[in-house]
Amino acid sequence: MSLTRRSLIAASLAATTIRAARAAPGVLRVGISTSLNGLDPLMTTTGDEYIFDNLCFNGLTRMREDLVVEPDLAASWSYSDDLKRWTFKLKQGVKFHDGSVMEAADVAAMFTRMLDPATVSPARSQNDMIDTVVATDPSTVVFNLKVPYGGLADILTDRQVKITPRSAVAQMKTKPIGTGPFKFVSYTPGDRVVLTRNPDYFEVGLPKVAGVELRIIPEISVRVAALQAGDIDILWDLPLEQVKEVAGQSGLRAESIPTASWDGAVLNNAIPPFNDVRVRQAFHLGVDKKDLVELALFGQGLPTISPIPPTHPFYAKDAVIPPIDPAAARKLLAAAGHPDGIKITMITPIGRPLRERLGVTLQQLLKPAGFDFQIQRVPYSSYTAEVSGKAPIYIDGFFARPTIDTSTFPFLHTGASWNNQLWHYSNPAVDKALETARTSGDATVQKTNYIAMQKELVTTPAGMFCYVTNFACAFRGNVDGVHTHPMRWFDLRHATLS
Amino acid sequence: MAGHLLYRLLSTLGVLLVMSMLIFAIVHILPGNVAYAILGEYATKDAVAVLQAKLGLNDPLPVQYWHWLSGMLHGNLGDSVMMQRPAAPLILDALGRSAILAGLSFLLVASCGITLGVFAATHQGRAFDRIATFAQLLFIAIPEFFWGILAVLVFASWMHLLPATGYDPLSESGLLHWISHLILPVLVLSCGLLAHVSRLTRSAMIDVLQSRYVLAARAKGFSAARVLGRHALPNALLPAITILAIDFGLLIGGVVVIETVFAFPGLGRLLVFSIEHHDLPLLQAGMMVVTAIYALANLLADLSYAALNPRIRVGGATA
Repeated sequence: MSLTRRSLIAASLAATTIRAARAAPGVLRVGISTSLNGLDPLMTTTGDEYIFDNLCFNGLTRMREDLVVEPDLAASWSYSDDLKRWTFKLKQGVKFHDGSVMEAADVAAMFTRMLDPATVSPARSQNDMIDTVVATDPSTVVFNLKVPYGGLADILTDRQVKITPRSAVAQMKTKPIGTGPFKFVSYTPGDRVVLTRNPDYFEVGLPKVAGVELRIIPEISVRVAALQAGDIDILWDLPLEQVKEVAGQSGLRAESIPTASWDGAVLNNAIPPFNDVRVRQAFHLGVDKKDLVELALFGQGLPTISPIPPTHPFYAKDAVIPPIDPAAARKLLAAAGHPDGIKITMITPIGRPLRERLGVTLQQLLKPAGFDFQIQRVPYSSYTAEVSGKAPIYIDGFFARPTIDTSTFPFLHTGASWNNQLWHYSNPAVDKALETARTSGDATVQKTNYIAMQKELVTTPAGMFCYVTNFACAFRGNVDGVHTHPMRWFDLRHATLS
Repeated sequence: MAGHLLYRLLSTLGVLLVMSMLIFAIVHILPGNVAYAILGEYATKDAVAVLQAKLGLNDPLPVQYWHWLSGMLHGNLGDSVMMQRPAAPLILDALGRSAILAGLSFLLVASCGITLGVFAATHQGRAFDRIATFAQLLFIAIPEFFWGILAVLVFASWMHLLPATGYDPLSESGLLHWISHLILPVLVLSCGLLAHVSRLTRSAMIDVLQSRYVLAARAKGFSAARVLGRHALPNALLPAITILAIDFGLLIGGVVVIETVFAFPGLGRLLVFSIEHHDLPLLQAGMMVVTAIYALANLLADLSYAALNPRIRVGGATA
């Protein structure tokens, strides 16, 4: 036969000589974990897709790595005194990838499409304070809001709300067009997304690399090997347990940064046993969140009170968190009618290893406090359908939202969307603080109220916000000008390859 | 022979029809829901309801099955609901790349497996035979994903000899790049089956070599090569061919694992993607294609077996 061992050995030796010349020059290769579902930013829901959204498209505003919001396609904005009417002036002469000029009508059309229930855009629930979006002249867009809202410019940095041409809606699924630093070339599911430099990008001189390839590599150990072998230049989403190991290797750089993504134990406030606030308090008395960070996250994270991360100025630094006290916890359980403690099933997600570790850690640490958890593992894909709102306790987590309001209000205000799905928490003091903060444009008022909300959560917990996780990426030594972004996407405008 | 052929063809069609029902049923027993999968962490109740209606998920199951089956009979494999594009080109594309992987592996297994088996049988008990037996047991016992990750670590990240992942099309990157991306996956995919086939060939060959007609041939003074090639090998090959046909199914299963480990964009990856995302139309279409391929491979094996072995030929006179 033609394939002998000798010819295979010969071929493998031949391959050694060709490795250096493999990639097209100047193309940055980013290793991601899963195939993109869609290419229309308005419909994207996964971290891998958000990377793509931020390379091919622009929003009206954008968020830097240090969480500062700055103009993107908008040149400036202003708002009415009642915070219900926001006016955005657009940059002039920005072109879409097909050469047509971006106009206010495109912005209005995109938001109208997003708000249409028939589009079923995942972004709609986040933006439901928007009533209408109108183009008043080719470079001016007016947002009319249903309620006063101080964080509109922040929320417009979000992942799905990218400006696309109103004439090209039909082709967004297959040949998407944006204004971004990179143009879409091709997508092979299971393999890669190929993007090329946009020569007409509105920020002159950017981007610096000739193109970007998003390589889809599902197996994490293989993704790390691919980085070591030079198949990819950047590894997105380095597992936290591997940060120290990768950082110690020559020619590689690992960057682990705090984010506002949180994991927690969802305690259902509507059904026993956690409908009794004393049981929820006992749960919190039984465990030190610092231990959870060490054991579940390998130290790569920070304990938190609510979705507001300790790195944020609105975090309640002076909140007094009661020290761990298993005896007091058991007393509270007895007072709530559980003198022999509580024996109950805790659900953890298959396919989310860190959250599984969190479940097991809580199970072990809470034993002295009188909780006896049986762990049941359920595939994460059937979580929303089968676990949310039904199980008394389960482990879940949420990615960072672009504003403090969208990170807290939906999760903690009585009757709000995520609150209804998770724990059915209802606390008038928290409701009032969240409402006041949302309807004020004043940062001091917001800060006071968010801190009051966090202190209220310490005494009357909803579920347990265990910690905010770090997010890590790894880079080869020849990559420069890129940083790990707390929102888990990349800004590759200034990236260079040497 | 013609009657046999017709009978086999009809029963293959029957198998496909039954499989289509089974696949549809199994796929719909899977927990979870594509509407939740599409909306991800944004799945609010009203959004899910709108999307379910839009995707036709509210029709009764027999109606959904009939839509799917009649679509397939018209050559329409349906649409991937996750990627919002027709499933057929997605599957065809991925299938082509998987076929390269499976085809090369099959050639390697068939050629090297039989050669190694014969060599081990004729050198029974010697050092080569013992080493080969040890290696065979090792490759049969330890699963492919272990060898895959080991191969990536050794050849890609440690020795920097070969690319760790991916696939470069022949038309874009030239022969050497194309081959460099195939060596590791093909070798790892083959190793278990190679051990399997060579072991079986070895024992079949040893049996045949101890038979009386081989003794008779030797007594007549034929050369060792002639005894081996003309008298022993054809009979020793029959079980090997059967096992190759069965192994073809294992190969398809192995492709799923290998493609995931090596990030190779083939049909196996597509199936895993569709399962993870509850993309049922894509999953159904992909599984039907795999079923059809396996059924055809078995049909071919049956027919060639009948052609090779006069004793099981059906229907009297043969050409």
